[in-house]
Amino acid sequence: MTALEARDTAARKLVPTLCYNCVAGPDFMQVIVEDGVATGIEPNHSAAGVHPGAGRPCVRAYGLVQKTYNPHRISQPMKRTNPKKGRDEDPGFVPISWDEALDTIAARLKDIMSRGLIDEAGLPRVAASFGHGGTPRSYMGSFPAFMSAFGPIDFSFGSGQGVKCTHSEHLYGEYWHRAFTVSSDTVLTNLVVSFGSNYEVTGGVCAVRRHADARIRGVKRIQIEPHLSATAACSAEWVPIKPKTDAAFMLAMIHVLLHETPRTSLDIPYLRDRTSSPYLVGPNGYYLRDPQSGKPLVWDEKAGRAVPHDTPGIVPALEGHFTVSEAISHLADKEVARHENAPAHTAFTAMVEHLRRYSPDWASAICGVKPDKIRHVANEYVSNACIGQTIEIEGRTLPLRPVAVTLGKTVNNGWGAFECCWSRTVLATLVGALEVPGGTLGTTVRLNKGHDNRLVSVVPGEDGFMVSSLNPTSETDWKAKPTGRNAHRTLVPIVGNSAWSQALGPAHLPWLFMDKSPDEWPKQRAPEFWLTFRTNPAVAFWDTAKLTRAIAQMPFIVAIAYTFDETNHMADILLPDASDLESTQLVPIGGTKFVEQFWEHTGVALRQKAVEPQGDARDFTWITTELAKRTGLIEKYNAAINRGAIGSPLKGKNYDFSLPTDQAHDPETIWDAVCKASTAALTDGKEVKDLAWMKEHGYFVVPFKRTDWYLYPSLADQNLRFELPYQERLMRVGEELGRRLHAQGIHWWDEQLSEYQPLPEWHDVPGRWVKAVVAAGKKPEDFPFWGITTKTMFYSAGNNSGVPLMHEVGQNVRGHGGIILNAGVAGKLGIVAGDWIEVRSIVAATRGRAVPVQGCHPETIVIPGQHEHWKTPFAKDLNFPSLNTVTQMSMELTDATGSGADVVRVCVRKVEGPGKGARP
Amino acid sequence: MKQVVQVRLQRYWDIRAAGNFSFGGTGSGLILASALGFLIGVPSVLAVATGLGLIGLGLFCVWLEIGRPWRAINVFFNPRTSWMTREAMLVPPLMAAGAAAVVFDIRFVLLAALFAAGFLYCQARMLHASRGIPAWCQKETVPLILSTGLAEGTGLFLVIAGAPPAMVATACGIAILRELVRELYRRGLVKANAPAGTLAWFSWREEKLLTAARWLAIVLLAAALAGWNTAALGGLLAVATGWGLKGMMITRAAHTRGHVITHTPARGRDPSHVVIPS
Amino acid sequence: MTRYVMVADLRRCVGCQACTAACKEANGTPIGVQWRRVLDIEVGEFPDVKRVYVPTGCQHCEDPPCMHVCPTTATKQRPDGIVTIDYDLCIGCAYCAVACPYEARYRVDHPRFAFGEEPSVSEQARFDEKKIGVATKCTFCVDRIDGGCAKGLTPGVDPDATPVCVNTCISGALAFGDIDDPDSNVSKLLAENKWFRMHEEVGTAPGFYYLWDKEAPL
Repeated sequence: MTALEARDTAARKLVPTLCYNCVAGPDFMQVIVEDGVATGIEPNHSAAGVHPGAGRPCVRAYGLVQKTYNPHRISQPMKRTNPKKGRDEDPGFVPISWDEALDTIAARLKDIMSRGLIDEAGLPRVAASFGHGGTPRSYMGSFPAFMSAFGPIDFSFGSGQGVKCTHSEHLYGEYWHRAFTVSSDTVLTNLVVSFGSNYEVTGGVCAVRRHADARIRGVKRIQIEPHLSATAACSAEWVPIKPKTDAAFMLAMIHVLLHETPRTSLDIPYLRDRTSSPYLVGPNGYYLRDPQSGKPLVWDEKAGRAVPHDTPGIVPALEGHFTVSEAISHLADKEVARHENAPAHTAFTAMVEHLRRYSPDWASAICGVKPDKIRHVANEYVSNACIGQTIEIEGRTLPLRPVAVTLGKTVNNGWGAFECCWSRTVLATLVGALEVPGGTLGTTVRLNKGHDNRLVSVVPGEDGFMVSSLNPTSETDWKAKPTGRNAHRTLVPIVGNSAWSQALGPAHLPWLFMDKSPDEWPKQRAPEFWLTFRTNPAVAFWDTAKLTRAIAQMPFIVAIAYTFDETNHMADILLPDASDLESTQLVPIGGTKFVEQFWEHTGVALRQKAVEPQGDARDFTWITTELAKRTGLIEKYNAAINRGAIGSPLKGKNYDFSLPTDQAHDPETIWDAVCKASTAALTDGKEVKDLAWMKEHGYFVVPFKRTDWYLYPSLADQNLRFELPYQERLMRVGEELGRRLHAQGIHWWDEQLSEYQPLPEWHDVPGRWVKAVVAAGKKPEDFPFWGITTKTMFYSAGNNSGVPLMHEVGQNVRGHGGIILNAGVAGKLGIVAGDWIEVRSIVAATRGRAVPVQGCHPETIVIPGQHEHWKTPFAKDLNFPSLNTVTQMSMELTDATGSGADVVRVCVRKVEGPGKGARP
Repeated sequence: MKQVVQVRLQRYWDIRAAGNFSFGGTGSGLILASALGFLIGVPSVLAVATGLGLIGLGLFCVWLEIGRPWRAINVFFNPRTSWMTREAMLVPPLMAAGAAAVVFDIRFVLLAALFAAGFLYCQARMLHASRGIPAWCQKETVPLILSTGLAEGTGLFLVIAGAPPAMVATACGIAILRELVRELYRRGLVKANAPAGTLAWFSWREEKLLTAARWLAIVLLAAALAGWNTAALGGLLAVATGWGLKGMMITRAAHTRGHVITHTPARGRDPSHVVIPS
Repeated sequence: MTRYVMVADLRRCVGCQACTAACKEANGTPIGVQWRRVLDIEVGEFPDVKRVYVPTGCQHCEDPPCMHVCPTTATKQRPDGIVTIDYDLCIGCAYCAVACPYEARYRVDHPRFAFGEEPSVSEQARFDEKKIGVATKCTFCVDRIDGGCAKGLTPGVDPDATPVCVNTCISGALAFGDIDDPDSNVSKLLAENKWFRMHEEVGTAPGFYYLWDKEAPL
């Protein structure tokens, strides 16, 4: 009998399960169940050697008991009786039976199926939005199989962006090094330069533990951000910087490396062999290519001539100017330019010359950080890089470059994010620290295949780089007509078209276009059917008043609902699903995952029903199966499950647990089959664990190779290069996209097209927000502060804002529910701690209590979390402010990847009280 | 690096606790004054009875404040170290001796005074033992509570039992002593770097008015010594200002120590820094 | 002898309040009562500012003023240093609360629950009427320690014999153990690192140690 079993009695038991409420999960935990009631959460200490966070969940997990027994939960299906929708309309929800609710929904869907899933504009009639970073997928049971069976669904209505997402990193990170998110190799690194990455708050237990261990080991983390976050607090140095000027700081760091330190301090072999640095760039800015093979040329120092980059035995010149006797270049739309005796320089030289202008003195004027401080950070970076050192991991000798640069969310969103992503990744390549032990690593992929191990996506593509699947921009293949309301295939080539791509398109454009379509753009109709789950865009997105009006235009909304909230206030049907502790689902764990989940195991874990659902809430798998049955999709639905839509395929080489497709199965049967197939898949059929086994043990894992944390070995083995520093392909793609759009008469995306540069140019990034004030007919001097936001661990993405325990413990952390500003500035404004203040932008105003602190840049105010609820029980009575209320949602503040940032110019004044809350 | 220490005002003891220190202090002081009165030939049964009544009223206030009033008897369990137990244990003999003085023979007031002195001392030590509240655990707290109790007691005696010159002189002298002790107490708090909220007490308008009233009491008592008919008014003022002082000390100046660190932690290769509270 | 102490490594703590929340849940403390909590302290002036997260609660002092002032002997000290409260003896005078230099004691006169006056089923399961109207504070999870020791487990090593906050701590900042055992984890941490205790000037000899740097190598 184990110690844990000894603690289980008839009346009390510990149920192993997991928490996946944020992207930093999943994390193990156990539910204490006494007499059938969940009374507490405990870590799963038995998983301490498996889970990088020692089997412990974060603070939010401890709110799950209150979440379960929240008396405000919707306990049975409801329908709207007031056809009018709007914030001020009482929906008149009345309880209905599950039968009535499911039949109503099925009738709608069948009607749509009968008329065709695509409307006259070519857009899906059905849309669905899910919250925070894909995590709702771990709570929606078999619903992915239903969606697969159903057909095209529009996932482009964003639930919120900015603080919830590292948008540009997702796209460029995955493009350059299979890094949907990026992390330091914290267990080995000696120096982390972090531009606003908020590990200690959003990194989850794995990041917190790894960084805490690293601090004791003696790591140095330099945190560069406008306010002293928990992460800055736990860093060796805090460098206050003006918002949205990070790119200038990073460009200056590169300048220092290229112009103020000897070349020997860089990793020359790495740059020469693993990057495109030696590729020759011709006078037109495109690579010079071998006329026969079309391969990019390099200058072979041995032979003294230009040769294709993959010619065996050559020593490519890293830098220099050369004359190439004969070459071609590939221009946009397959146009080919021919060159004779063309002047050429290497991509590296192009970068060196391009970066000459971005000195620390130049950057200092922009970001408000002294030049010497920028030099100090750059020099620390170089001096910690340990060029030439190696480490042996699992018998393989790999470079050890213990320096990393990481980016936070506002840095990673909207204008300036491309420059930041490029600079961060180039900084890593300059010292050979990209994707090697100790360096800057990707975690997982979402736009490419290989969610369980990103290395499988490392396949040779064009020009000596990894394969990349961009959306076509050619005249023949470009999607002139959007296939989803955010036009991800039309406007954003780099996002590709995988299952995740649509959700990673310009998430706010559908909302903007519901308000007003731009010129020469098809008039979009709202989807006829919108399903929401674990999302509250009416609070979580920008310009919440405008967004709420857009939601009210949706003709039919089905909300999987926990309590009433600001979004489901507009719903037509509310369905209560069994929540975290009440339902069953098998979830993949291990390998390398967002945000710092680097495991030495991989496998599956069970989120299991620890207690019976409250009220008449039902398991999402049951709801899904009923929908499949009632819409006549049961066979396709079962087939999708068999194919692996909700886990491993149920049939493999040595096993077959396929479900009969002609009948409905209960959730237990479905998950039993998935458990068996998933464990069999992990062991080539040698071990098969059923649902009962998983319920008892909680998880099943097999070893995951530590060397698989790093991309470098796969690249080296295949002699591939990172597509850095020169962005020849993106330049070509941008040119093509511009031609396509202009041919349609579309010019409102021209600013975004300017981002397609071979090497990033500084373009007064913060000035764009000031210009937005002018464009609104207001005076910039009337909005003298930067408004920004930050997460708190208690409210990762806001979905637990109605849990009182989170509010109570949150009050121990400064800024909770308030507005943080610099104490000196507050003093000048006559504001003291606890005063009610109003933050106003050109959009709206929000009110909260002042929290004057020393640790905040004087030009910045910070509103933590996403609040200002007006419907969510408990949360609505807190009178908390929200930056979302005042943040602009606009085309002009949208970058080429389709993202915007949680940044807005604001003014601040003292007021009497909370006023009318969220009303602008 | 400087730490602005965040302290808070204790809320456990409110005006009801202040009532015990005010009524109990005045009551015990009055019994002591009654003993003096007896010795100088001004015996006053009414004064003794009033003193007992005030002590009882104070204890009633405490009873109203405790969370489990029906097991109040447990208060007697820790005479070994608790000044609250000791205070409580003095009450029965004090009441008995006082009652004997009222009912049987005024001479019992001398015995009652002995217990009253102990009671008042216990009250002073009770506050002093509150190590969570700098305003109370200051070493000058004991003389301050003793002197104000006596000033209140002698002052009230003048109101109840007349104003023999010796009692007026005693009351005046003790009132002056109280003022001296209060100043020493203030300086002690400043020297001990007491919380800003506690030190702010001395600049409040109410405290300035109270200080003026205390001085006025001294002037009135001195005037009574010079033959003016101001003894009772002076005495009354001495009582009221004592209550005011203790009321503020218990309910408004009683800030906690806050949490103070001595060093910032070394976060990775960051050197730690010495922290100085301010 | 055994003397249990808590060690908080301030280099590790990130102020996440997981310990606070887990403690509240495990001990069923009412709204506003936090036997374990983490302070968020700022020092310095812009731009030279630091924030320090400081776990706090009952320090289980060697010379506990709360025990000395307690008129009922409800507050006691065990031979292993743990300061306890007998809820059946306590009269709720709150003298201990004002005697504690660490603001560690609470008294709640009227039960309040997360969602109002009525407890949820989970709150009802944890609700203990004995704790109303009396002083309460961190117990170092004495029931877990005693229960664990009875099974032969070691407090601070085996989770089932260790305070909930320590088990919960995601950064590994909190450690618990017997300071009289030179081989215990806490003894080693204190030997290898520089530490302070809070309000040493008050003379309470707290059983709560804060690590702030490693000891310089000899």
